[in-house]
Amino acid sequence: MANYYDIQDILMQDEVARGSVVDLPLWLAQDLVQRQILHIKLPSCFNARVRKEVQADPACVDLHSKCPFYYEMGCKLVELSVDPTLGPFLLTTLQGRYKDLLCKALTATLSGNLKFLPHLTEEETRLFEAGRDSVKAFKKWRLQGPRIEKAAILGRKRNRDATPIWS
Amino acid sequence: MFGRSAALLVRELTTDDHHLRRFNYDLFDKVISEIQEHFQQVTTIMEKMQGENEDGQISSADENYNGALIHHQSILRNKRCLLAYMYHRANRLQRLRWQLGAVLPEDVKELLHPSEKEFVKSYSEALSSYMTKLDIDLAVDITPPKDPYIQVRVLNNIGEVLLGDQSTSLVRNSIHFVKRSEAETLISQGLLEEFTG
Repeated sequence: MANYYDIQDILMQDEVARGSVVDLPLWLAQDLVQRQILHIKLPSCFNARVRKEVQADPACVDLHSKCPFYYEMGCKLVELSVDPTLGPFLLTTLQGRYKDLLCKALTATLSGNLKFLPHLTEEETRLFEAGRDSVKAFKKWRLQGPRIEKAAILGRKRNRDATPIWS
Repeated sequence: MFGRSAALLVRELTTDDHHLRRFNYDLFDKVISEIQEHFQQVTTIMEKMQGENEDGQISSADENYNGALIHHQSILRNKRCLLAYMYHRANRLQRLRWQLGAVLPEDVKELLHPSEKEFVKSYSEALSSYMTKLDIDLAVDITPPKDPYIQVRVLNNIGEVLLGDQSTSLVRNSIHFVKRSEAETLISQGLLEEFTG
């Protein structure tokens, strides 16, 4: 039930599963596959060429341009399609990228490290931002900054840097 | 059609986490009319299929079956997007109530749909009656306080305000030493600022 309202889930399902004879968004394809009207051919972002690229160096691959919801879509496709190697492949990809991602998130300054950000999928970007926000919060706590602050929604006209009390 | 406008609606929700945008009446109504179109299509196809079969049964081998299925799925998809849109906006309004107190600022109010205004009013009433029954203000002390009193600086001219037992005149840039619980709502509304000296 929690997934019904989840925005990320809704948007992820909109991504078109290219590679089938007809291009269909995932929400449509999912139902049709369950009723056994059609079969899904894996989209091109999961094909052998990409897998070799990832094996060579996971941290450098631009997953965002292939599919911004790479992992989520992969997980849904694992259930729907017949390829048994997809699951383990996704796991190894994430493992390869995660350590690098975490290091950069915790040590990033405002300006540096922006080159690789567009290569991250949506999920990875959220992890990255969570890391960065927690470092910011820690630094603020360390310097004993103000603990109650103006609610972020009011910050439109002036102080865009106002962080909410909690979000 | 086929869930594309609905997807745009949901995408709006991802743009800005802290600011609420104006309720998108046009897109919302467009999605609703698309649902009605899809429904029309489904009923015509179903009637056609029932008409072609003598005993009025619908077989899944029928060539129109898939078309009807696609329209049906589109209706469900549109419904899901509409519901998610309303749900997330309602969630943000709930959070605002906790941050800003019982009165919403005017510029936020004008962004809302009338039903959202209703929601805010009833939610606010329910919350206030609960808090008065418990005799505690739950929206205060969100971060655990170190000190019951706090130093604040006034950002705007507010005039006379009842703080504790005395009414104090809050003039711009003046510094006061007030109880934390009272200052908290005012800081959250942007009228005061914590003075860290």
